[in-house]
Amino acid sequence: MNQCWRDLAISFALICSTNAVAQADSLTGEQLYDIACSACHSLAHTPDHHIGPPLGGLLDRPAGAVEGYRYSEALRNSSWRWSLPTLVAWLADPDTAIPNNAMNYVNPMTAEETQRLGEWLLGES
Amino acid sequence: MTSTLTRRRLLHGSLAGIAAGLSGGCAKHRSGRKAVVVGAGLSGLNAALILERWGFEVQVIEARERVGGRIWTLDALPGSPEGGGNVMGANYGRVLKAAHDLQVPLRSPPRTLPSDYFVDGQRIARDDWASAEANPLPDAWRSIPPSRLMGKLNASNPLLQTRAWHDPTLMASDTSALSGLSALGFPDAAIRLIGANNSYGNNLDETSLMSLYRVMGEFGRLSGPALAVKEATKGNMRLPEAMAGQLARPIEMGSPVTAVHQSSSATRVTLASGETVDADAVIMPLPLPALRRIDMSLPASQTTLLETVDYHKVVQLHCIVEAPFWERAGWGGSWWTDNLLGRIFTRPIPGTSRFNMTVWINGDDCDALNAMDEATCIDRISRALWDLMPDAREATSVGQLVRWSNDPFAGGVWALWRPGQAATAHAALRAPVGRVFFAGEHTAEAYRGMEGAMESGERAALEVMRLLA
Repeated sequence: MNQCWRDLAISFALICSTNAVAQADSLTGEQLYDIACSACHSLAHTPDHHIGPPLGGLLDRPAGAVEGYRYSEALRNSSWRWSLPTLVAWLADPDTAIPNNAMNYVNPMTAEETQRLGEWLLGES
Repeated sequence: MTSTLTRRRLLHGSLAGIAAGLSGGCAKHRSGRKAVVVGAGLSGLNAALILERWGFEVQVIEARERVGGRIWTLDALPGSPEGGGNVMGANYGRVLKAAHDLQVPLRSPPRTLPSDYFVDGQRIARDDWASAEANPLPDAWRSIPPSRLMGKLNASNPLLQTRAWHDPTLMASDTSALSGLSALGFPDAAIRLIGANNSYGNNLDETSLMSLYRVMGEFGRLSGPALAVKEATKGNMRLPEAMAGQLARPIEMGSPVTAVHQSSSATRVTLASGETVDADAVIMPLPLPALRRIDMSLPASQTTLLETVDYHKVVQLHCIVEAPFWERAGWGGSWWTDNLLGRIFTRPIPGTSRFNMTVWINGDDCDALNAMDEATCIDRISRALWDLMPDAREATSVGQLVRWSNDPFAGGVWALWRPGQAATAHAALRAPVGRVFFAGEHTAEAYRGMEGAMESGERAALEVMRLLA
């Protein structure tokens, strides 16, 4: 590495605190679904179960109610119904929203991203 | 600044050139930004595929001559045993989805043969464990096989939430497994047996009790008849190979990275050859011992952490058995020992009359073996095997020695948190530094192993997209 790059690197390291680069925070709901949800959940309106149940038709659906999916007792008995506030609360921190659920997920998104994802998921519904 | 790569050792997958699209995605989202991913294990490949799907130019650089990282199918041996990651958990959603989408066939693993015991030099038949004189456990514990003793932790598991395993409040009460198990009432004999073959620590004194709770909690969630583990039918490495084949740009193989440095607008990756690649962001999905070898001008606090996190030591001797020599003596075919041999896992090679037998040695017992040259190490383990079961000598041939600690691009099989360490180290080691992002199983939140690697790649891709969107 030439001296110029090394000097730049050291200077940058000194002024750079963790995560200091400006964050655009402009990912779309579709992108967020693709990155954070799609491995385990389809958008089908039918019982298209992967590791998780499908997310189609979420709006106003009772939690834990898609036919044929083995939900946790906690989710089945939660009396939750999916709306934007409940979905965002669930996505933000599933363990706090409904303790003892089986999703085993820690949300890496910002609060704004979580809100955007929730809106998109319900819009897709 | 432009890429100056000139030497190309490229991996072309069968589908290379097709801009990947597992779902959604694509060319319509061209971002005009370039990301470099250093390492073609599951974590790096998952991040690379996500970024490509959303229009990023991605260059994956791999030090080895193969992809997969700590997934390593020993294809040269009959039965293609796994030298690395061998289990796809039933709840590994990302792994299973990738295998499904990429048409990598999975199967239930052939059944590992039943295990007998060698404890204090005495052979104990599996059905006699509870009543055997050589069973060192007190009465209330005698019926628990050595491999299940750690499961008793679930009776007191305080980790009720997914991220609790590094929660600073809970971590304040973390302790070494050695003292913690004793305080919980585990008898000394049980602690000794747990320590003899502990896959989650090199020795109980330096093992975090909370990290054992985390593992046991995972196993607890996996219990149940409907939840069976899987493996790739033709070897687990077929999955990362299929993922690599989806990348639009071939992977630069056999190219160790020596430095990553940043300016205010770009990041430069330097290879051992002296060649350089510039990018808008770099993902480092490497195990920490490999990361230590790369000059990155990291903040001092992060450099210190890189040096202090331990990695689990595993030595495996993979053998091929021509005939089931154990049957005449009424043994099951696998063994759990408290001696040098650790555990011996034997399973049939489908479609043949032969068996794969793996001597699996964990933890600090590996130190002396890792210091030997390969031939001496194989001889040392083989002699211990023949001493224990002379009939094996004629029926068994040595296939391959695997020593993960001696692999400069791995340095061990997975990260081990010292007591209390995860409270701060986990967050610090995954925190981006400028345009450099970190991934790998040690940075995952909800899972360990293969799924943890995939999870971490997902998170790193999100961070890069957030920065460069």
